[in-house]
Amino acid sequence: MKFLLYALLAVVVVPLQTTLLHYVSILGVRPDLGLIAACLVGFLGGELDGLILGLILGCFQDMLSAGDLWINVVTKGGAGFLAGLAGRHMAHITPAVLTVGLVVISCLSSGVFLYAMNPASIDEIWMGVRSTVLVQAGFDAAIGAGLYLVFRRRWSDDRMVTEGAL
Amino acid sequence: MAISRSTYGTRRLAMVLFALLLAALFLLPSQSQGLLQYVGGPLGQILSLPLAAFSSLDHGISETWDGYLALQGVREENRQLRRDIELLKGMNNQLRDSVSATQRYETLLNFKQQTSSRTVAAQVIGRDATNWYRGVILNKGESDGVRPEMGVVTPAGVVGRIVKTNSTSSVVLLVTDPNNAIAGLVQRTRDEGIVEGTSHGRARLKYIPLLSRVQPGDRVVTSGLTGSFPRGLAIGGLTQVEKSEGDLFQSAEIEPEVDLSKLDEVLVITAPYEEADAAQKLLQEIHGDRKKP
Repeated sequence: MKFLLYALLAVVVVPLQTTLLHYVSILGVRPDLGLIAACLVGFLGGELDGLILGLILGCFQDMLSAGDLWINVVTKGGAGFLAGLAGRHMAHITPAVLTVGLVVISCLSSGVFLYAMNPASIDEIWMGVRSTVLVQAGFDAAIGAGLYLVFRRRWSDDRMVTEGAL
Repeated sequence: MAISRSTYGTRRLAMVLFALLLAALFLLPSQSQGLLQYVGGPLGQILSLPLAAFSSLDHGISETWDGYLALQGVREENRQLRRDIELLKGMNNQLRDSVSATQRYETLLNFKQQTSSRTVAAQVIGRDATNWYRGVILNKGESDGVRPEMGVVTPAGVVGRIVKTNSTSSVVLLVTDPNNAIAGLVQRTRDEGIVEGTSHGRARLKYIPLLSRVQPGDRVVTSGLTGSFPRGLAIGGLTQVEKSEGDLFQSAEIEPEVDLSKLDEVLVITAPYEEADAAQKLLQEIHGDRKKP
């Protein structure tokens, strides 16, 4: 049932990312909703959930991107898994912690993309970092923290129930 | 008693005067009219002021009353008219959009009829799913005959090439993406080179011979050396030529002819030289017939 929900989430998130998100772009950079979703589910649901959602989202995103077919699967799956690992070792997840976590994971994910672009010089790397990596990391963190604040109560209850059951 | 008598006398006098007045009015009508007119002039003037005041008050009251009574209906009518305006505005926008789309389709159709290539019209339905590639998603895929490496154009010029397809959609890598490379030709000097995208969202013509006299403003078109595009499709205009000492080639920055941020409909070139292919096939058939005994 959970995986079906994740698949449904991916079916909604990826088309949204490709069609409407350019309206909210900053300096031509859009937030990566797939990464945000995988990280949030990873942080709050554990590494397995984050990994699975990340893989599904990455697979869909690769179908609608000009890049190589592996790149989104690896980065989104990895992001969900890393977020899950980080979430497991934290007693309390606060918006500040989540923001920092999202910035780090978004930067790592973008780093993989930058590497795959095979930049010709150090100038191109710096340009990629300045114009895309940092902007996207800030954007992802802001939206992720915002979503967490909106749904915090519900997620906190779920987490407490899960921990209580364990 | 004296008062009563006096009052009686006055009343009698008044009655006599009134009778005389009536008699004068009946017996001497024109003279009495003149007299009345004369007396009534100043009186009329005196009366005119309160008359005007009362009249304006009456007019105001009547207007307010009428307005108040009519207000209920007007309010409803206003609401209905506002709804109608909104509806008409929406219809107007739709019609404007339809006109604009029709004009675009007409241009696309004219271009399709003029070009010798076989093409499939497609609509841009999205942008690349990541921030790292300059790409667009089309609503036509393998079921429509679209395959990877096919060229994508608009009547204005080259858009890019197909890099991924599935049954119902395909992904186009734009000409401004650094991963893209298209064989180009400077129209004036006939010098050939490779058009690649840059990280600044423009394109660059590379490997221009060192002795070439290219200059800003020269137009770059497809050379037709690669299979995706026929010869002569516009790519863009040169904006800056760079020639460094010790380099074997020159390079030049290109401003793409097509506004890639506002793509709506495009043509996918499924067969760049359809007429030539058909002619060649016909020639082969003719030769085949001749060889037969």
